[in-house]
Amino acid sequence: MSTLLTHIAISDGTIKRSSLEVLSYLRQQADTHGHDAEAVIIDAAASDFVEQVRQYGASKIYTVEDPVFKNHINTPLLKALALVMDKADPYLFAFASTEGTKDILGALAANQDAAVLSDVSAFELTGDGIKATRPVMAAKILSENEARGDKILISVRSGSYEANPKGADGEVVNIDFSIDENEIQATLREIIGASGDKVDLSEAETIVAAGRGTRDEEGQRLVTELASVLNASIGASRALTEAGILDPSLQIGQTGKVVSPRLYIAVGISGAIQHVAGMASSKVIVAINKDPEAPIFDIADYGIVGDLYKVLPPFIEELKNIKR
Amino acid sequence: MKFYICIKQVPDINAPVQIKNGDLIRDTDRTVLNAYDASAVEEALVLTEKNEGEEDGEVEVVLVGPDNASETIRKALAMGADKATHIRTDGNTDYDSSVYAKILASFFKDKEYDVISCGKQSQDTDAGLTGSMLAEYLDLPYATNAVGLQMEGNQLIVTRQGDAGREVIALPGPCLVTCSNDMNEPRIPSLKGIMQSKRKPVETIGLETLEMEEADLQTQTTVTGYREKPEREAGQKFEGDPEELAHKVAKLLDEEANVI
Ligand SMILES: Cc1cc2nc3c(=O)[nH]c(=O)nc-3n(C[C@H](O)[C@H](O)[C@H](O)COP(=O)(O)OP(=O)(O)OC[C@H]3O[C@@H](n4cnc5c(N)ncnc54)[C@H](O)[C@@H]3O)c2cc1C
Ligand SMILES: Nc1ncnc2c1ncn2[C@@H]1O[C@H](COP(=O)(O)O)[C@@H](O)[C@H]1O
Repeated sequence: MSTLLTHIAISDGTIKRSSLEVLSYLRQQADTHGHDAEAVIIDAAASDFVEQVRQYGASKIYTVEDPVFKNHINTPLLKALALVMDKADPYLFAFASTEGTKDILGALAANQDAAVLSDVSAFELTGDGIKATRPVMAAKILSENEARGDKILISVRSGSYEANPKGADGEVVNIDFSIDENEIQATLREIIGASGDKVDLSEAETIVAAGRGTRDEEGQRLVTELASVLNASIGASRALTEAGILDPSLQIGQTGKVVSPRLYIAVGISGAIQHVAGMASSKVIVAINKDPEAPIFDIADYGIVGDLYKVLPPFIEELKNIKR
Repeated sequence: MKFYICIKQVPDINAPVQIKNGDLIRDTDRTVLNAYDASAVEEALVLTEKNEGEEDGEVEVVLVGPDNASETIRKALAMGADKATHIRTDGNTDYDSSVYAKILASFFKDKEYDVISCGKQSQDTDAGLTGSMLAEYLDLPYATNAVGLQMEGNQLIVTRQGDAGREVIALPGPCLVTCSNDMNEPRIPSLKGIMQSKRKPVETIGLETLEMEEADLQTQTTVTGYREKPEREAGQKFEGDPEELAHKVAKLLDEEANVI
């Protein structure tokens, strides 16, 4: 009997759905293989999230609570994670693949001498480790990987598994934590452009993504209106974040975020491989582009060849009618 | 101000690839300087130029890789880096991030520097692990996914793209940072730069000179094979009167795809 541990990521006062996806899957794996699925919450208000995590069936929930965890800073987080690993002795420790995770995963693996695979899209336990699938070459190809050893760390792409609740009365274990000012060598000075209450793109159900074709005011207005009719989140290609037209946190792709919505509408986006790397696993892809040869049409379920300034106004009207 | 930039040679992801019996077959052996590392080099060049006059800024690149990676080293030198170390590996070694980090850590053990920069990830594998592993092995304060860098005395001010926004972090030196390509547009080497690069010092050393334990060169992860991603079929493509197209596709999304 070994421990399969899930890190519960919290951002802007809410649990990232992707952590619950990981926990749900590990709980099923634990049931099948006779292991324990446990979870850890590291936050300034960790105990506030215990009830919600319990609903996803963790048999034990570790909490590490300290004001220092109000914002992401890597030194205290690493210290807490090392403490948790000492205590829980997990055979597998799984994280949702957030920017926070990306910041610490390598360092934690080095610190714990653990095998590590980042950003996997599927995984399963084997006798002496795990097997995992990772998209590579800008997500054009899938690589099959093995990690061996008795301590394995992974991060999991959002949308790889379903989050499904299953009640359990998991025991709560609070881990004492304190950190000295001078142990935190880095100082967080400020956070710019925090997303506030906007839906995180990597969890959005519907995304309207804006590309270079929409870079003027009218283009932006149409994109915003389309998103509002569909109750969608707005995403962007690099062309628009680079030009400072949309916030950098909205970039989708190899450098930006990986998304997997039910509906993805690419407006004035050519479909460069680095962009597609972040959105190819969307369920339904719609592309609006005036160039019939644009590569985005190779992966779109519904392609509209046309000028977005002419297509979007009637498209928005029709969607309004349908919604009514 | 002394910058070390860890640069990696990676296969060009734009070159066509095929899979035969689980192996990745590249139609061309085209390789490139990892784009994120090019951004790291660019930023170090800008920061050391700014500091010119105050003290001697120096940018040195370090690469772990086979013989033919010398081309990638030349590219960084042609951009403007002052010198390079090439830690040579045998032809077809398949190391994971952890082994590269251990090799780099042994190299840096007795070096002096203000900043070590890495790319935020390798363009081919998107692993994103080496940088923070190296920071841990060297016990350096670090930040990843930098989209902006500034020097302030001997502190490095890093703006990193985080989950909730852009985090501005002050790191005391010496420190390590991993760079996003959202930080800058790497310069294209000029003819003069290319000519000069040929005269710049490149020190080539073998792994054996780093006195590593045999175990440190054993990977804990392996790639056992590759497969095609289930191909996304191109769906229906419509051309014609914009108004009609808009109506048609909106209807299909509602009634066929069921996503409205
Ligand atoms: C290492 C690396 C990482 C990268 N990471 C990312 C990433 O994470 N995300 C990302 O997006 N990019 C990324 N890129 C950049 C990527 O290669 C492309 O440059 C970028 O995606 C292009 O954005 P775009 O499609 O908006 O612009 P373009 O390629 O310029 O395409 C604009 C499209 O709009 C169409 N258009 C123009 N006007 C109209 C109109 N009136 N009506 C309809 N259509 C119109 C055009 O036909 C064209 O197809 C990366 C590049 C590198 C090297
Ligand atoms: N063989 C190598 N030689 C030099 N730097 C490397 C090497 N491998 C990885 N790196 C550094 O680590 C970053 C990528 O880490 P990763 O995504 O874990 O492969 C690169 O951008 C480099 O800065």
